[in-house]
Amino acid sequence: MERTEQLIKAKIPGKETGIEIRRTICDICCPSFHCGIDAYVKDGRVIKVEGTKGHPMNDGLLCTKGLSNREYIYRRDRILTPLKRVGERGEGKFQEITWEEAYRICAEKLNGWKEKEGADSVLFFGGYTKWFRPWLHRLAFSFGTENYATESSTCFTSGFMAWKIATGRGAKGDMAHCGVYLGWAFNPYHSRYLNGKKADEAKARGVKFIIVDPRITPAVEKLADIHLRPRGGTDGALALAMANILIQNNWIDREYIDRYVEGFDAFAEYVSGFNESNLEAITGVPYSQAVEACRMIHENRPMAINESSAPLAHHKNGMQNYRAIMALSAITGNYDRVGGQQPILHTYIHQASGFLTEEEEFVDEVRPAHARKPVGAERFPLWYETEREAQATDMARQILEEKPYPIRAVVALGMNLRMLPDTENIIRALKKLDFFVDTDLFMTDAAKYADIVLPACSSFERGEFKTYPGGYAVYTNPVIEPLGQAKSDAQILCELAEALGLDDELLKSGYENCIRYMIRNLSVTVEDLKANPLPTLVPERKPYQEGAYIRGGLDTKSGKFELDSSLIKDHPEWGLDSLPTYCDSLDGADEEKYPFALCAGARIPNAIHSRLHEVPWVRSLRPYPTADISLEDGKRLGIREGDDMEIYTEKGSITVKAHPTARVLPGTVYMYHGYREANVNGLLDGNHLDPYCGFPSYRSARCGIRKGGEDHGTDA
Amino acid sequence: MGLTLDLDLKKCTSCGACAIACMDQNDIDVERGIRPFRTVFDWESREPGCQKFIHISIACMHCPDAPCVAACPSACIAKDPETNLTIFDNTNCIGCHSCAMACPFGIPSFNEEGKMQKCDGCAVRIQNGLEPACVRACPVDALRLVSSEEIEGKDKENSLQKLGREVLEFQT
Repeated sequence: MERTEQLIKAKIPGKETGIEIRRTICDICCPSFHCGIDAYVKDGRVIKVEGTKGHPMNDGLLCTKGLSNREYIYRRDRILTPLKRVGERGEGKFQEITWEEAYRICAEKLNGWKEKEGADSVLFFGGYTKWFRPWLHRLAFSFGTENYATESSTCFTSGFMAWKIATGRGAKGDMAHCGVYLGWAFNPYHSRYLNGKKADEAKARGVKFIIVDPRITPAVEKLADIHLRPRGGTDGALALAMANILIQNNWIDREYIDRYVEGFDAFAEYVSGFNESNLEAITGVPYSQAVEACRMIHENRPMAINESSAPLAHHKNGMQNYRAIMALSAITGNYDRVGGQQPILHTYIHQASGFLTEEEEFVDEVRPAHARKPVGAERFPLWYETEREAQATDMARQILEEKPYPIRAVVALGMNLRMLPDTENIIRALKKLDFFVDTDLFMTDAAKYADIVLPACSSFERGEFKTYPGGYAVYTNPVIEPLGQAKSDAQILCELAEALGLDDELLKSGYENCIRYMIRNLSVTVEDLKANPLPTLVPERKPYQEGAYIRGGLDTKSGKFELDSSLIKDHPEWGLDSLPTYCDSLDGADEEKYPFALCAGARIPNAIHSRLHEVPWVRSLRPYPTADISLEDGKRLGIREGDDMEIYTEKGSITVKAHPTARVLPGTVYMYHGYREANVNGLLDGNHLDPYCGFPSYRSARCGIRKGGEDHGTDA
Repeated sequence: MGLTLDLDLKKCTSCGACAIACMDQNDIDVERGIRPFRTVFDWESREPGCQKFIHISIACMHCPDAPCVAACPSACIAKDPETNLTIFDNTNCIGCHSCAMACPFGIPSFNEEGKMQKCDGCAVRIQNGLEPACVRACPVDALRLVSSEEIEGKDKENSLQKLGREVLEFQT
């Protein structure tokens, strides 16, 4: 082989090969990540990716998902032009139209309903990749409605709400300085790898690790000094019993509680009901093991706790369980301190970077004064109280029942048909709409129900502003031209504002101008950031100051850490408990017919929702929709590795491959979601929801399993 | 200098990053049934009550005395004089699979034309001052480019090379 040919084959960057490294970010998963990418570009095409060394989010590393970016951005089903539906809804028959035509139709339909039934008859929905949220939110408000819903109706917000109710702000655990790390649902070895490195370093420093997880994960293998294995959804009972143990042994911080904690006496009385007599029966965790964990917490202060977006929240009792866990931080005096749980403020799109932008103002300054309460506000009043946006889990119901008022049109970006439980019902709702426009990179099954489909581009094809922990900000430059006629989602929203004729000059002036507005109080400019391919330190960043927030009084009614919530107490009409009470999380299906607990959506290393199921490289790591069951259950039911296995609920059944493993507990079934051919969320009851926040109980469904089985089809 | 790729089995978590980085580096078209050069296993004991988890990422072992080199009738496989990695040029490959028969680890795979291909340790990247793609991607420093001498001092739990040698001795 010729030398140059050899260098090109090995993808060596340089003049000789014409291969250039350009910096961008991965936006396959959510904006609290968005790792730095070195894109190897030749002749306008990406030929390879690597993680950017020195990037604050990933320092050269990328997970399996991020490493698949090349196949992801060049997926065969990328949408390249605006499309207009010509077949039936869901059939997938479209014709190409121009951007002008697409915007004209959208404006006619959306303004038409606004005129006829008011702006609230239109709902704005933001799915992946979330980075465009401030623009979608502002567009909804400028259009005149609070009907703005996102995928955070099922992820992250539950825990965030729990923190807001208790302390007025979000929080994060300070692993770098803790003595003991309570890794509740903590496994940093399959993504966000720098957390794994930090955990390894902490372990080497002598930090004690208590891992709480029903599964045996790599974190359990590598880190756990103690592994507590509660059955899924019983985390609250375990946390309450641990609180009781800490109180009984006087392993708490009395002085801190007296000064900074509200509702301790009522809490202490309530937790006394979770003790030696019932802990193991409720959770499966031996009482002695919980005592051992509490002793470890007491003897190794300070304690930091892992914050988790989904696994703890995806139960009917999820938010209450979360409150019970964080109460451990309060009673041991570990909130707002070095090595404990530290209050945070979000800088930009749920990323806490130690400085502030005007993102909130950008959205809130155009909040409509006379809008009706958004979807889900009546059913989930606590959600509406703290979030002031629609709860998407109530969307299909309202579309179908038209109560308290009809929704006629949906403007969506990146909607995932199989994200919410009970897929059939979602499809019925989408079919009932008068108008549905969806924007996406790919021809998804949700997009097939749309009247108009708009082509979005990937992060490689656009420039964007981002902030990162540690005080960083970046403004990327595109590394390749957009594919076909695709545009950045945020730009599409700005152009839609123009087409709708909205009275919002800032939004209509485009993405970059909106960023200038949001960072106008920072000393760095868009130009400064664009000139630096790596994230820049923002001078306005402020380091954490121990105890400053709690000493000054928290943003709660009492000014204290509220174990007993005054917000909930003030609203007895909501029917919610002000203490972090515990209840069973499984649904009401017949226990004998459905003896297993189904956990839908437990993470696997090579997928993120449905976004990578069609990407061959990552899919090849686990090619078939596969469910984990225990070795004991496999043996008892004669189900072996790779066997076809049916998972069934009252809603229907799916056929998957079986993977019996010692990693999961007997009586449980773990199945990843988003597969077209085995849609586990289609098996779930759409009304089995957490009454506090509206989150679905994805991980607390009763089911049965049997060997073999035909696909009876729960999916369209 | 005698380099090879080695895996610390204690550090590996079977996350799969190395396998995907290898596919990206080598343009592996898995949809056309092309077998990737690097495979990751997440193994465990199948006996209830006995929990043992074994993490392995394996590609060409770059044997010092590689049997595939001698087995190839077309002289496609060679030891790289600079790195001692097992490299190949499949221009003259006749697709006889002799290399695959000779390889104790079942490594050689075959492209759509039936010609052999496999991990070459990213020898050209190394020559140009870069790490092999899999090593660059490993988040826990389990996969490393090491000198043959370095392996000698290792325990088999921390060295797939050491473990591989033991398996070979057992077989012969």
